[in-house]
Amino acid sequence: MTDLALRREPLDRARLLTLLQEYGVYAGVAVLILANIALTPHFLSTENFRTQAVQVAPVLIVALGMALAIGSEGVDLSVGSVMALSTSLVSLYLGYGVWIALIVAVIGGAVIGVANGSLIAFIGVQPIVATLALMVAGRGIALVLLPQLKDIRDPAMASLGSGALFGIPYLVLIAAGLALAVGFTVRRTTFGRQLLAIGDSRPAAQLAGLPVRRVLILVYVVSGVLAAVAGVLASARLQASDPTSLGTLMELSAITAVVVGGTPLSGGRVRIGGTVAGAVLIQLLTATLIKHDLPPSWTQIAQAVVIVLAVYAARERGKR
Amino acid sequence: MKPTALRRRTTTRTLIAASLAAGLALAAGCSKSEDSGSKSPTASDTADAGQKVATPAGDAKSCTIDQFGGTKLDIKGATIGFSQSEKEANPFRIAETASIKAEAQKRGLKLLTANAQSQFSKQISDVQDLMAKGANLLVIAPLNSDGWGPVFRSAAAKHIPIITIDRKINATACKDYVSFIGSDFISQGKRAADQMITATGGKGEIAILLGAAGNNVTTERTKGFKDEIAAKAPGLKVVFEQTGEFAREKGQSVTEQLIQSKPGITGIYAENDEMGLGAVNALKGAGKKAGAVKIVTVDGTRNAVQGIVDGWISGVVESNPRFGPLAFQTLDDFAKGQKVSQDIVIQDSEYSKDNAKADLGKAF
Repeated sequence: MTDLALRREPLDRARLLTLLQEYGVYAGVAVLILANIALTPHFLSTENFRTQAVQVAPVLIVALGMALAIGSEGVDLSVGSVMALSTSLVSLYLGYGVWIALIVAVIGGAVIGVANGSLIAFIGVQPIVATLALMVAGRGIALVLLPQLKDIRDPAMASLGSGALFGIPYLVLIAAGLALAVGFTVRRTTFGRQLLAIGDSRPAAQLAGLPVRRVLILVYVVSGVLAAVAGVLASARLQASDPTSLGTLMELSAITAVVVGGTPLSGGRVRIGGTVAGAVLIQLLTATLIKHDLPPSWTQIAQAVVIVLAVYAARERGKR
Repeated sequence: MKPTALRRRTTTRTLIAASLAAGLALAAGCSKSEDSGSKSPTASDTADAGQKVATPAGDAKSCTIDQFGGTKLDIKGATIGFSQSEKEANPFRIAETASIKAEAQKRGLKLLTANAQSQFSKQISDVQDLMAKGANLLVIAPLNSDGWGPVFRSAAAKHIPIITIDRKINATACKDYVSFIGSDFISQGKRAADQMITATGGKGEIAILLGAAGNNVTTERTKGFKDEIAAKAPGLKVVFEQTGEFAREKGQSVTEQLIQSKPGITGIYAENDEMGLGAVNALKGAGKKAGAVKIVTVDGTRNAVQGIVDGWISGVVESNPRFGPLAFQTLDDFAKGQKVSQDIVIQDSEYSKDNAKADLGKAF
């Protein structure tokens, strides 16, 4: 009897860890929502859900690009600085109208992406180092372009930041649309499959004749463009361009969302649904602690615990 | 490698380099920003907003050049070095540096400046550079309170007097440095509490948007506020304290959470203007009316004082950044051999709906 139980245990533990990695993030979100419904006054209101969704939108958009970078066995540390660059560009070009400003900001993000991708694909710099260089340079350029916070008074930007369609804020609609698009790209397109193959094993992908360099550059361009979009939306919400503080530590929030969502750091796999849930989980965690007026340092500790759990689950599964 | 392949790769690289260069040129060259309608303050705007001393002269400990151990000099022929701690990216630092420069120009003095960009090691080498370049007198806005030993040793060797502004250095006045000029942050918190009591009638629940953690400005503005509330308005309860890290975005996010979970909140005390403006954004977004939640902030930037005029903010306690006139007067007096106070606490003014419109020009 005991013998049998002992022999069965490792299998159960492994299966449990697999389940934890696959669905843990969704369970975490469900638990947090239920706990908040029980414990937090006024939690169950449309207003509250709207607030959480609007606050998570920029983080989520950045995390989508980060998921692609991590899926290709890389990482993009420059995303926060790209947000700062994009907010500077928006402010500088708003005189031509919102659309021009948006396009210039997105081009700015793409240019940083090209620089990241080229360093990685052509020169062979490690992604963490290449994007670290652009993280430093990006904020520098942003602050040269716009040295201090500047208010945005453009009515079109205001409506982008606080407007809604059928009661759903534009920010949330855009984030949802981008999540669907990136999810589709990963699953259904050649680019998506090539990206995963490269993340799995770059030498093998090279031997198989995949356009490794082109795909890698494109990955970082997409990440840069998404970060630039997030920067524009965050500026619209704030009604100001603030390159000094916008996007600081955003790279860490995005990596957290991706990792907690079950995407392994070793590449070859991207979970977009999990990334969305990961971003929501961190948002709900922060919101819960703020609403209950717990010390801010607790938020950081709670986030750390969630990250350790997620990485533990991923590692144990990898050992199998 | 085949020559054609090599050439193609070189072409790709050239293209990438060219697109990067073009992108940067575009960004810098043909921008056209929105006409914001607000003008930056000029010297004439701010002429009447100079600092006044709060502590009566002669009351506190004083310092003379004989005690300090230097030789008298005429400030007219001297070179003055100014070391700024943080990038001039927020209204306070912009106004502070501008005030030092304007006063040096007004007095016709030679001024050398340096900015440490929030890196303490850079500030130490900045100050040593200033001394090497021939500064006879130093004005320092310190980033840290500690770690100034090396600077003091080289300054003492050359008998160069130092005045610190806005933050204090943990060292001996009249020996390591001459005197400190700055605001009393505890009293700023107290006066914010007085404004909050007036605005709310002394009853209700209030929230505090704290500044960055581990910063003496945060702890002192909090202590002054809470002590005053406890002493004068037992009917006011602080029910919420979260950090907004002195940034507008964080102030907005935190306030959005606050008004969801505590819709009946009476007032919000923001420990700087930027977080207060973020709170205003959040209240607007939640469909609240101007004045429904009383907001009191500290700093006195133009945007916040405009917020009082518009009815969103109830009161602003000033933290005056215009150190130029007082710093140079102190240096002048000291160099001539007169007594100067070791601790010069400045009198900050404040804005409420009674004076906001008239005094908008004084805001920085």
